Amino acid sequence: MNISSLEPFFNPSSVAVIGASNSPFNLGGTICNTLKTCEKLRENIYAVNTKGEDVHGCPGYTSIKDIPAPVELAIIIVAAKAVPAIVHEIAEKGTRNIIIESAGFSEMGEEGKTMQAEINKTIRDHNIRVMGPNCLGVLNSHKRFCCFYGAQEHTFDRVYQNPGSISYVIQSGGLGVLILESFATDIVNVNKLVSIGNKTDVDEADMIDYFSQDETEVIGMFLENVTEGRRMMEAARKCTKPILIYKSGRTSEGARAAMSHTAGMANNDRIFNAACRQSGIIRLKTIDELHSMPKMFTSMPLLKGKNIAVITNSGAFGGIIADLFAEAGLSMVRLKPETQEKLSKTGKLFNTGNPVDIGPAILPETFLKIYEILLQADEVDGLLPIPSVWQEFIINTIVELQKMCNHYQKPAATYTPNAVWKTLDIRSKYLVPIFQSPEEAVRALQISYFQHLSLQKKLSINSGAACSAN
Amino acid sequence: MNDIITSAIKKGQKALSEYDSKRIIQSLGIAITREDLALKEEDAVVFAEQYGYPVVLKGCSHTLTHKTEFGMVKLNLKNSAEVRKAYQEIVSAGLNLDGVLVQEMIKGDREFVMGLSRDPQFGPCVMFGMGGIYTEIMKDVSFRIAPITRDDAAEMLEEIRMKELLDEFRGSPAVERDTLINALVAIGNLGFNNDEIAEIDINPVIICGNKPVVVDALVILNTTSD
Repeated sequence: MNISSLEPFFNPSSVAVIGASNSPFNLGGTICNTLKTCEKLRENIYAVNTKGEDVHGCPGYTSIKDIPAPVELAIIIVAAKAVPAIVHEIAEKGTRNIIIESAGFSEMGEEGKTMQAEINKTIRDHNIRVMGPNCLGVLNSHKRFCCFYGAQEHTFDRVYQNPGSISYVIQSGGLGVLILESFATDIVNVNKLVSIGNKTDVDEADMIDYFSQDETEVIGMFLENVTEGRRMMEAARKCTKPILIYKSGRTSEGARAAMSHTAGMANNDRIFNAACRQSGIIRLKTIDELHSMPKMFTSMPLLKGKNIAVITNSGAFGGIIADLFAEAGLSMVRLKPETQEKLSKTGKLFNTGNPVDIGPAILPETFLKIYEILLQADEVDGLLPIPSVWQEFIINTIVELQKMCNHYQKPAATYTPNAVWKTLDIRSKYLVPIFQSPEEAVRALQISYFQHLSLQKKLSINSGAACSAN
Repeated sequence: MNDIITSAIKKGQKALSEYDSKRIIQSLGIAITREDLALKEEDAVVFAEQYGYPVVLKGCSHTLTHKTEFGMVKLNLKNSAEVRKAYQEIVSAGLNLDGVLVQEMIKGDREFVMGLSRDPQFGPCVMFGMGGIYTEIMKDVSFRIAPITRDDAAEMLEEIRMKELLDEFRGSPAVERDTLINALVAIGNLGFNNDEIAEIDINPVIICGNKPVVVDALVILNTTSD
């Protein structure tokens, strides 16, 4: 897909907010304010309202057509019934990107559906791309650009402070804000976040296409429904970046009245699962995984086999992890005698088998030696270190481990069995990937391995296609 | 094969009879029971003698999607007298039948199901799982979006909880997985290429020795398309 038609949604040079006024509780006015944090836009934000009044310093007009300069992106936040006519005016103005934040369309019954159909006709005739209706639109942290309504001036400071490479598609706007807030406790460096609402035009497949071509490294999605399943699968098959999707509505049965038993069992959860498996999409189990899992991909190489070495200073974790591995399809690697031999030379270890039990007191150099021996061992595909952070130097070893992992191209999912606040503190201060529970760490390894396998599959299919094209 | 579907749609049928459904399945290279449609009692006996006893008799019609509930399935008939009696019971029930289906009785402990459904967002989907009369209680099934590759089909076999039944089991050899894989790929292609077919149930697929044999099948037609 040609993604250039979507670029103005994320990085426009001028924006008109239609429905922004100075009346108290006006949502459009909050958008004008939020847009001002974007350096590039500062002089090019316009307000459109019935009085033609300026809003928070943004020049006001009664119609978008009266704005004396080109408008690259129009944002609509007025009552639904006024929207179809406004879309017409925008088309006449020559603007080709619209975000409709207003609600009251296909989600509200027949009348809303008819209005949405009218909008669709106008945008098709004029080659306009639309996000929404019933959405919050876009946040682009690198440009400090955000068009969410209802936000305060400093709402996104935290997100803007650490821009990164993780992009999100959150269908529902309200949930988008909640997910953004959950990032505060984790290391989630956001590139872009979009809320696509009713998806009258731009849908999840477009967004996968777009994020597979921009600087995004990991794509996270929260979907309530899928617009065109096969297009989504096509987009996902072509995308080599990890796509993590949490989808609600797991239990609802298929809408069609089924005559056969097969169709009776084909609920949308089973079908969606199948679609994910076939197109290499990682299906998340909880909403929390939207913020806890991406760091495994942005900070660590992929897991290329199932054999994991566990390092702990409490033997009890061995059994817990072994159970979790069995469920996740991973295995506790059997360390070769020569690896154990090397381990035993590092000091007084309690156990040189797997899990490697390092006992309570150990020097930082010894920690690093153990990590390196394990990462060098052919039989080991990845590590699950469980160090208790009882001294500051332990944190340094976690930082060093990350470098080693990238050097040896094998990942580690670290879990620190400490008070949660301590873990959160370390994580945000040192920006190291630490997981909050053994379950999270094992899950991170599991999806990393899934991504490795899907990538192999995609690359072989894509190269096969290239061969047959020659 | 297309003739069967075209003529059924022309006649306004919502489904194909078991006999026609199985001819469609057979045309995909999938083994079905030896069977024939008897229009007279005498023919039923002739077919039965050809296959060898025991045999099964079933009332056959495209309107009969729940044969057992109507007493239209007579199992384990051991001689010509039993065949004649069953034949008369089926035809005297007063239902509008194409004929009486006479088929060999397949014996095997392991029953699987294969099928096709259409999802509003994803279109035709192939299903594999545990078959028999408890299929919908167990719901031990796995799906893939059609068309599917052989790798997809192989994954489907591995995804069901009772996958061990595909291996050696109580003295029976391991199931011919390749045959199941070929069948699933073929069902996917059939659904992907024929919008006229709305849904398919192939249940049970009984494992006879190590070979899967389709014992019953139902093809539901898409009556909404032109």
